[in-house]
Amino acid sequence: MEILANLMHGFAVALEPMNLLWCFIGVFFGTVVGILPGLGPSATVALLLPLTMQMNPTGGIIMLAGIYYGAKYGGSTTSILLNVPGESASVVTCLDGFEMAKNGRAGPALGIAAISSFVAGTVGVVLLMLVAPPVAEFALRFGPPEYFALMALGLSMVVLLAGKSMIKALISMFVGLWLATIGIDMFTDGERYTFDYIELMDGVNFVVVAIGTFAIGEVLANLVSTTGGQMFEVPKGLRNLMPNWQDLKDSRFAFVNGSLIGFFVGVLPGAGSTIASFVSYGVEKAVSKHPEKFGTGVIEGVAAPEAANNSETGGALVPLLTLGIPGSATTAILLAALIIWGMRPGPLLIQDHPEMFWGLVASMYIGNVMLLVLNLPLVPVFAQILRLPAYVLYPLILGVSMIGVYSVDQRLFDCWLVGFLGLLGYLMRKIEYPPAPLILGLVLGDLMENAVRQSLMMSKGDVSILYSRPLAAVMLVLTVLVLIGPMFRRVDIWRLRAAEQDV
Amino acid sequence: MQRQYAVAFGAVLTAACLIAAPAQAFTPDRTIEFMVHSGPGAGNDIFARAVQGLLEKTKLAPQSIQVVNKTGGGGLVAMSYLNEKKSESNLLAVFTSVWFVNPQIRKKAKVTMQDLTPIARLILEPSVMTVRADKPWKTAKDFFDAAKANPGKLKQSGGSLSGRDNTTRHLLMKASGAEWQFISMKSGGERVAALLGGHVDMYIMEPAEAIEQIRAGKVRVLATLMKKRIPSLPNVPTITEQGYDIPEVPQARGFVGPPGMTPDVKSYYVGLFTKLHASPEWKGFVKENLYEDGFLTGQELDKFVNEYTQQMRSILKEAGIKLVR
Repeated sequence: MEILANLMHGFAVALEPMNLLWCFIGVFFGTVVGILPGLGPSATVALLLPLTMQMNPTGGIIMLAGIYYGAKYGGSTTSILLNVPGESASVVTCLDGFEMAKNGRAGPALGIAAISSFVAGTVGVVLLMLVAPPVAEFALRFGPPEYFALMALGLSMVVLLAGKSMIKALISMFVGLWLATIGIDMFTDGERYTFDYIELMDGVNFVVVAIGTFAIGEVLANLVSTTGGQMFEVPKGLRNLMPNWQDLKDSRFAFVNGSLIGFFVGVLPGAGSTIASFVSYGVEKAVSKHPEKFGTGVIEGVAAPEAANNSETGGALVPLLTLGIPGSATTAILLAALIIWGMRPGPLLIQDHPEMFWGLVASMYIGNVMLLVLNLPLVPVFAQILRLPAYVLYPLILGVSMIGVYSVDQRLFDCWLVGFLGLLGYLMRKIEYPPAPLILGLVLGDLMENAVRQSLMMSKGDVSILYSRPLAAVMLVLTVLVLIGPMFRRVDIWRLRAAEQDV
Repeated sequence: MQRQYAVAFGAVLTAACLIAAPAQAFTPDRTIEFMVHSGPGAGNDIFARAVQGLLEKTKLAPQSIQVVNKTGGGGLVAMSYLNEKKSESNLLAVFTSVWFVNPQIRKKAKVTMQDLTPIARLILEPSVMTVRADKPWKTAKDFFDAAKANPGKLKQSGGSLSGRDNTTRHLLMKASGAEWQFISMKSGGERVAALLGGHVDMYIMEPAEAIEQIRAGKVRVLATLMKKRIPSLPNVPTITEQGYDIPEVPQARGFVGPPGMTPDVKSYYVGLFTKLHASPEWKGFVKENLYEDGFLTGQELDKFVNEYTQQMRSILKEAGIKLVR
């Protein structure tokens, strides 16, 4: 009841005309930034930080948070339409999203992305409101060994991302793990695989690899085979450009799965939405009745990662608001903003500034509705892009890719690198190596290596620390189950085939 | 002859005045860029944007200001970029201790702070030694004793080896004779979470962060790692008071210009920061963040740059970091 009263008070704050305006400005900017690849929410929030110094703090945090969760909405657009992952968490959306677009279902894909973002974004806020303090306390039990187990679980998703050949998927993953080692090693301050390039000292940027292997690789592969003219079918009529009831029904579980995984991964400092999206995709595929169809354009394959990506925002705000700990670059800027406004983020923040917290929570409910209203009408408009003939569409993809890559760090070096990785992506397609495991390896490799080295430093080299703590042990058991799962499933398929032959 | 000299001298003087007169009136004619060596969200990025916001709020900036992130090479890209923009008058960069450390530990870092044009040091970020509140240790000595009694068992979370956390650790270990582990973690969030979750035993925090955690009863401060007590933590003795004489390793932040900046441009920016420093908004910002006012310009700043370089050098050496030059 107390929560309800607080929330009502929060809505009173969030519905003040000025705050409503700031909320709209935030989600609008967020959507635009999300659609543009490369430029992420952290850069935009940072850009607007000086502006908010002259604002009322509640209005300020409402706007900055609006950019943060608004950017998550738009991230899927270029993934689905152009196979260009707009931000790191949208890579997984490419897998089935772009395939759906190829099948003439770009509209439903974009629509389900918006709807699932709305559902999960709202679930994220509900959870933030209801369970923030206990969940934050629970997250603190994650030390390096638990992170290692979580990353192992994430990496085991490779068996679910594999296409026809497990060996090829594993090799692709190991290339990703290798890419993750490039740069200055945090533990020794030494350089690894930098080949004397200053640009490689901070490692290879994830967005560059994703755009190279996905977008550029795809364009190159198609250039070789294309005949020109319009590539994709875009059905006429609004009805075909929106998800239908069947689509929504198919995505039911994906909404729930993505929302929960996204939120809980989001609470962990340093884990992030990319992992959340991979894990929820893996879970969705693992429990699906037709896992073999994943990667060919199934709607759940878009709904799950998009849900995870969006409820992650609610999760990421938990440690920030309840403990004063930022888990990501964007929340670090929000933390700085709170300090600049004189709010002193820490464990007592909500108690000291209830109007800010509840105003923010209420504004996030409103903002999510605004985003849905803002994004759904854009779906049919964006879907028209695919009507473009190949000789316009492919240069467009290349152009968007280059701008995206350049806008990450404003370095020409990355444009060369993305070209090189594009060639790699092309070759991988030719010899049928899936690129998704490479991305998985790259994202998790760094975190996993850190976690295992931190763990062993803690135990002075005793390996048992990795599996002797209960939480870590549970996750490792899950990992093993995921790894051996396909063996049993294969047996099932054989059995079925045998049964069919008998008949 | 003498008259000729006098005439020549006079001519030179007039010429100097002619050059100097319009030059005195330098004001930036286009957007001023604040370059930052890390991505959005890092400490110095936020600092740059806060300064930008304050300059705009106080209406001291004659032109718009833009923060530019030049990441790469742990700061090297930004340093060499600034070095290439000789006598550029609309570009400043935020310097931190990394700018002093890099040239000493990285072969490829050829640019030193002495090559550039330091404009102003603005703040010092003090640090305090913290443990979780349920630990039995009340003073730095308690912690050191526990470390001695359990060799290699106690752990401290922190950043990279050449960062402040680790260099301070080495100074503390040398002064106390105790030893403990150092666990590198990527982000500040992970480091605090590791302390609060009990995965490590000690963490060196900034006071603004620590005060809130103390207020919530989550952590205890064992010592202030500065020469003077911190006003907001008046009851916490400094590490020197507790009998361990270590040099202070504050994080210094300020602005530096490209090499060969003309005196008029330099004096313009020195003036700009001097005015900012005098404003109530700035005082509020320093107070809110529990920073130490570290305002320095001119010769005192140059002296600081040289001394700090030497100090970092000896600290790095003591910490066992390999120096390249």
